[in-house]
Amino acid sequence: MSFNLAILTDNWREILDGMALTILIWAAGTAIGLAVGLAVAVVQLFTNRWLAAPLALYVAVMRGTPFLIQLFVIYYGGPFFGLDLTPLTAGIAGLALYGGAYFSEIFRAGFLSVPPGQIEAARMMGIGRLDIVRHVQLPQMLVIILPALANMTVLLSKETAVLSVITVNELTSVIQSIGSTTFAFAETLLFLALVYWAFLEIVTAAARRLEKRVGRFMLRSQS
Amino acid sequence: MFDFNLIIKSLPMLLEASVWTVVYSLTSVAIGFCIGTLMCAAGLSASRLGRGISAFYVSFFRGVPLLVQLLISYYCLPLIGVNVPSSVAAVGTLALCTGAYLAEILRGGFLGISPGLIEAARMVGLSRRQILTRIEVPLAVRLTLPALVNETTMMVKASSLISVVGVLELTRLAQNIATSTFQPLEIYLTAGAIYFVINGAITLLGQLAESRFRLETAR
Amino acid sequence: MTADNATNSRPIIDVRGVWKRFGTAEVLKGIDLAIRKSEVTCIIGPSGSGKSTLLRCIAFLEEYSEGEIYIEGELLGFALEGGKRRRVSDAEVARVRRNVGFVFQQFNLWPHMTALENVAMPLKLARGIAREDAEKRARRMLEKVGLGHRAGAYPSQLSGGQQQRVGIARALAMEPHIMLFDEPTSALDPELVGEVLQVMRDLAAEGMTMAVVTHEMGFAAQVADTVVFIDHGVIAASGSPQQVFRKDENPRLRQFLQNYFERNVFWQGGEDAAS
Repeated sequence: MSFNLAILTDNWREILDGMALTILIWAAGTAIGLAVGLAVAVVQLFTNRWLAAPLALYVAVMRGTPFLIQLFVIYYGGPFFGLDLTPLTAGIAGLALYGGAYFSEIFRAGFLSVPPGQIEAARMMGIGRLDIVRHVQLPQMLVIILPALANMTVLLSKETAVLSVITVNELTSVIQSIGSTTFAFAETLLFLALVYWAFLEIVTAAARRLEKRVGRFMLRSQS
Repeated sequence: MFDFNLIIKSLPMLLEASVWTVVYSLTSVAIGFCIGTLMCAAGLSASRLGRGISAFYVSFFRGVPLLVQLLISYYCLPLIGVNVPSSVAAVGTLALCTGAYLAEILRGGFLGISPGLIEAARMVGLSRRQILTRIEVPLAVRLTLPALVNETTMMVKASSLISVVGVLELTRLAQNIATSTFQPLEIYLTAGAIYFVINGAITLLGQLAESRFRLETAR
Repeated sequence: MTADNATNSRPIIDVRGVWKRFGTAEVLKGIDLAIRKSEVTCIIGPSGSGKSTLLRCIAFLEEYSEGEIYIEGELLGFALEGGKRRRVSDAEVARVRRNVGFVFQQFNLWPHMTALENVAMPLKLARGIAREDAEKRARRMLEKVGLGHRAGAYPSQLSGGQQQRVGIARALAMEPHIMLFDEPTSALDPELVGEVLQVMRDLAAEGMTMAVVTHEMGFAAQVADTVVFIDHGVIAASGSPQQVFRKDENPRLRQFLQNYFERNVFWQGGEDAAS
């Protein structure tokens, strides 16, 4: 077995495009997923159970079934509902809905971690429900749930590879097609693993630093 | 029109394939548990080499998407002369991947054991190995039971990815039926429902085990 | 009093010039202590004085930094080679302290085993006793501490006092020559202290050699042959209960006892409890 690294350098343009798309999918999926998760958590905790029950089902289903099947349902099953999505849109939507379910659980735990006495106090001052969420609960819980949010965000970056199965042209897909046209599987796939590994290590380290800084900031602001 | 007849017709086949899903995922969790225990022990040992290997293993298998790991084992194992059935390679890869997560979970469990319980075992003359097998492992498993059960459900879901390397299980069969009938929605929803039921059952069993063991561990 | 004939025999525990340092902190500063067969030694002192550390050194749960501890004539934890000491293997440590039983403040029962299993398991594993015999002996030990009827209960189903009595049974089952008690009643609710102290009184009456780190001055006064007062890592006073509680003039000891009485006396004449 010999390594022919020229295969990688010859195709650097496609590879870079693939990387860019992977990061775009990840960023978009995470951002929308966070919004979905927060919305689901707020509705579940602060409205009536007729709204909360279907959302609980949504969360349970997204957490209990494979991401790949979810993608298939959205991408191949979408046309049944008149949703003719491109692979990319379906992929980002899938990632956001999948991540959103997990994010909503994290947000929910965060809301519940703020002592009820503080909310009662705010209520006694006549502060509105949404203002309490924004000014009392969110700032406190964000510090507590930051590690879990960061962890989930990192996990989502790995899930982007699954989008290759519904023909999204992200990094895994690009590398696979280079591999299968040149038969240089070892070079291409090991390179792919290294890229993800390095990327994940960097993102994880960045998340740790962020947690530390926020933690320090909170300590200072409390004292 | 949503085709219920198709669902009823393909359900027996899908259920049969889901047996493979359960077999593959539970086998890999069982193997992964052994790997994870070893790697966790190495990570907590005094040996610098052991700690290094453990850290490298955990970092790599948690840092690379499972799909990429599966592709590597599928395409690259034959290149170095390892010719095993794709299902074996796939289960091995799943086991290595979940082993990394299980090692981290168990690590938390071992560190959560009150040191006094180990001291008590030393004072009645148990050997190091007896302490590990009779005290530490059982307690670490009980302490981390919810996380272990969760990891098992994650593996049931992750096993759907081995369809990509051509192993026949629930997802792969669903794909086959979907492409031949041109009715993907019905088939994938059914497959999803089966996964949901499998994971629901695992979670339920986990909760039963937890409530049984909580009685013993509550202090 | 057994003191007269005991002074001639070899001590079961012989602590000579023991120091213990944690980093730069000196917790024990040259402790000398001998415990003879059938003697009950109570070790008292303010929290942080080093009394628990001393007991843990005697059990080799802590490595002592300097000095020597002999258990029935054998040096514990180290081998002397040309004036230098070398740490011996864990198995060798276990061999030397095989006749030492230890009872913990926090009981430390294994939560995944029943009371019976907690007592029987070490017999099977460490002593190689067959299952039936081990369980028979375990049952006998549980009966001895008054818990024969709770053999099948898990620790979480037992009260603190019951858990501690199982802890005592577990140590007793190994047929130790000496029992070490590390504040055995400090983690208990006040109403549960009595049942544990009663078991310990019975043991002392049977002639068990015991070293007890305790805050129970009443127990020390009634049961101890020797009371040792440790303060700032040294033995500041020692002798019979009469000597230590009544006669010793050490100001730190008097202050310690004064604090104890002020905390515990709520009734005129309550001081009688210590006589």
